[in-house]
Amino acid sequence: MLNAFAAWLLHTPVTAFLENAAWAVPTIQTLHILCIAIVFGGAVFINLRIFGLIERDEPVATVLGRFLPPMTIAIIILAITGALLIASEPNRAMFRVVFWVKMGLILLAVAATWTQRRLILAGAARDGGAATLSVRLVAGLTILLWVGVIFAGRWIGYATGWPGSPT
Amino acid sequence: MSLTDVLTTLQGLPLSTVIAESDWLFPTLESLHVIAITLVVGSIIVVDLRLIGLAATKRPLAAFTTQFLPITWSAFVLAALTGSLMFLAKPVSYVGNVFFLSKLALLLAAGLNMGAFHLFVERRAHQGQALGATRAFGLASLTIWISVVALGRWIGFTI
Repeated sequence: MLNAFAAWLLHTPVTAFLENAAWAVPTIQTLHILCIAIVFGGAVFINLRIFGLIERDEPVATVLGRFLPPMTIAIIILAITGALLIASEPNRAMFRVVFWVKMGLILLAVAATWTQRRLILAGAARDGGAATLSVRLVAGLTILLWVGVIFAGRWIGYATGWPGSPT
Repeated sequence: MSLTDVLTTLQGLPLSTVIAESDWLFPTLESLHVIAITLVVGSIIVVDLRLIGLAATKRPLAAFTTQFLPITWSAFVLAALTGSLMFLAKPVSYVGNVFFLSKLALLLAAGLNMGAFHLFVERRAHQGQALGATRAFGLASLTIWISVVALGRWIGFTI
């Protein structure tokens, strides 16, 4: 099924365009990295605040409220630019284990970030937002997951396809 | 000793050979470089948007420069370190690459922009004065850093 999808994608105008315009792929990758900067940067700043390392004069919920909206927009742009990068070479990324590892890690990182938001907002309503052990654990986990996503993303460029993948 | 001699000597170092020939070392350096760059750019965007006046204008500028610029600097050290190690793998090719040279020039421009802001405008900016100049420095910084990321990506396709 994946082979059929890649074969179909290969003959779409999108792929034809991306193959012919030499500037397109590096431009999309640049946008992709800038959005990673917003998502990963935002996650790191929220977590530095949770551990009391920056912006101690601002409540955790305020810092979260400042960074989460741009992170959400950046995630959407990442999905679009990521899909375009797959379309630029349909026979590549989707046939590598590390690509699916990256997708799994993204789902976990987004779920962890959402859990973090719920815990922080509940904490803010309860006692003004003291960083409980569970908030700290989820914070550490979120960063580890995003770091994993970045490593897996870079490895897609180096991994070889699994047996039977199209060439 | 000419530049070519220096570069050839660098390329012949045992460390250079290890980085160039290892299957996992280069992608590991690239991943760490991406992590560092995203933190440099992520933290500088926060400060720049405040300088431009597009975000968090109710919070004092100093609240952002004191809290976020140390992150920029620490991440920059990691980016420079991982970048230098990647450079060692192919110094001759990098120095002959126009995108690499442009990236270095823009990094210098980013430093000069930051220095000029610090010297001439920052004190007044903290008092809410020189809004136009503050905005211009923020806009210049944002433009330079986005271009640095773009040039970095172009190096990967042309080296």
